[in-house]
Amino acid sequence: MDRNFGKALVIITGASRGFGRSLAISVAPLLSAGSVMVLAARSGDRLEELQRELNVTGKTNLTVRCAAVDLGCKAGVERVVAETRSSDPEIDRLMLFHNAGDVSRYCRDFTDLDELNSYMSLNVSSALCLTAGVLQAVPGRTGLKRIIVNISSLCAVRPFPTWVQYCRPLDTDMQLEARSNSADDNIRNTCSLLHANGQLLTCEQSISKLLAVLLDDKYTSGDHLDYYDL
Amino acid sequence: MEHLQIISEPFRDLGRALCIVTGASKGFGRTLSLQLSLLMKPGSVLILVARSIDPLESLKVEIEAVTGTWRKLEVRCVQADLQETEGVERSVQEVKEAMSGDIEHLLLINNAGSLGDISRSALSFSDPDEVNRYLALNVSSALSLTAGVFSVDRRRLSLRRTVVNISSLCARRPFKSWTLYCAGKAARDMMFSVLAQEEPEMRVLNYAPGPLDTDMQLQARSLSADLNLRRSFSSMFSSGKLLTCQESGAKLMKLLLEDQFNSGAHLDYYDL
Repeated sequence: MDRNFGKALVIITGASRGFGRSLAISVAPLLSAGSVMVLAARSGDRLEELQRELNVTGKTNLTVRCAAVDLGCKAGVERVVAETRSSDPEIDRLMLFHNAGDVSRYCRDFTDLDELNSYMSLNVSSALCLTAGVLQAVPGRTGLKRIIVNISSLCAVRPFPTWVQYCRPLDTDMQLEARSNSADDNIRNTCSLLHANGQLLTCEQSISKLLAVLLDDKYTSGDHLDYYDL
Repeated sequence: MEHLQIISEPFRDLGRALCIVTGASKGFGRTLSLQLSLLMKPGSVLILVARSIDPLESLKVEIEAVTGTWRKLEVRCVQADLQETEGVERSVQEVKEAMSGDIEHLLLINNAGSLGDISRSALSFSDPDEVNRYLALNVSSALSLTAGVFSVDRRRLSLRRTVVNISSLCARRPFKSWTLYCAGKAARDMMFSVLAQEEPEMRVLNYAPGPLDTDMQLQARSLSADLNLRRSFSSMFSSGKLLTCQESGAKLMKLLLEDQFNSGAHLDYYDL
């Protein structure tokens, strides 16, 4: 198992809060001098705050770039690809973490096609287009490892309007959203109960497993791996 | 002990139905429209949706010739591009106008779809506009149309409600050079599975029809970037292993008439 990620270009979407933010903080100490971290999210303020935090606690030789963009828009995707293109070509690793995402609503309400399209644009299209753009910008070559991580969910594998009964979700704003605004009573109640009983996972717990998998580098490309499988 | 011998019998027909078929102008949608027309009771309505009105009008004539006036089937043609909000809205509006208290069964067949550009690799899809257009037609419109159609007469408990998603093996397995199609079919299957969970009274079916001898198949075997896929389809075509729309459609009709499938299930032609 590698002890760190070497000299890397790391891109994290949805980096301003929750899992993405924790990921940025956890990955930074594992990067060698000369690495670059590109943080993308809508909130420029929060990104800059994170950038300051990383500069204070992290290595001085880590460059942190903020891209305050809406990945639901073409311009947002293009801006992140542009940041990638302007990075140092001498990296050992390229790591793209597709983390930005949004909580969905009840099926019955989806008569608004524009709303659906906007959801797809952020949660599906941007991940594909960003991957294509970034990998075109950083072509494969010997000595370069290119890693794409799709932050997935049990919901990708099973249909659950009441998904929280089957896994412990992360303690984040997305969780807060789920337990306050979910149209389904079961979701709301279960989420609140999990939160009250301290049964939510911390981002750090989940991230430490993710990073172990990445450092070990033995997973099958294309695999769906769940926290609970590991 | 007669009550213990009650075995539920398949329906002999789909009842007095209001049935909507999207992508009805050719291929599988066209065949399904014809097959459905023969299974609906007098006083039913069949709404055909596609981008081109001419093939729909010809289909209407053919259906009327086949069903005869005694069947009292009203066929309505709706020219609509489901990639556009306006197209979805027009289709839903047609359902609202055609619905009446006499209708016993509301049945939607989400068949319209496209392959996307299968001549390219996943890593070539850097343009969000292209990907969004694909998802708008193949994913969003199916959800939006379903939501709109089933909002009609929402409170009537006696109305049977059935929705079919024309799915694919591609919903379950990745195929090289078919990024958009596989992703779209996977998303649709999941959407309809969630719907099945949320609406226990509705009948939801993800039906994978098998490799059909249609224009879409022709595209698949001539344009796929992956050589193995092209070879495999061409060989199916030349050895007569492609299914006719009739064969596959007939299995779907049987599933609908028997009405025993688990709501939300993914059923493939070859499973049955």
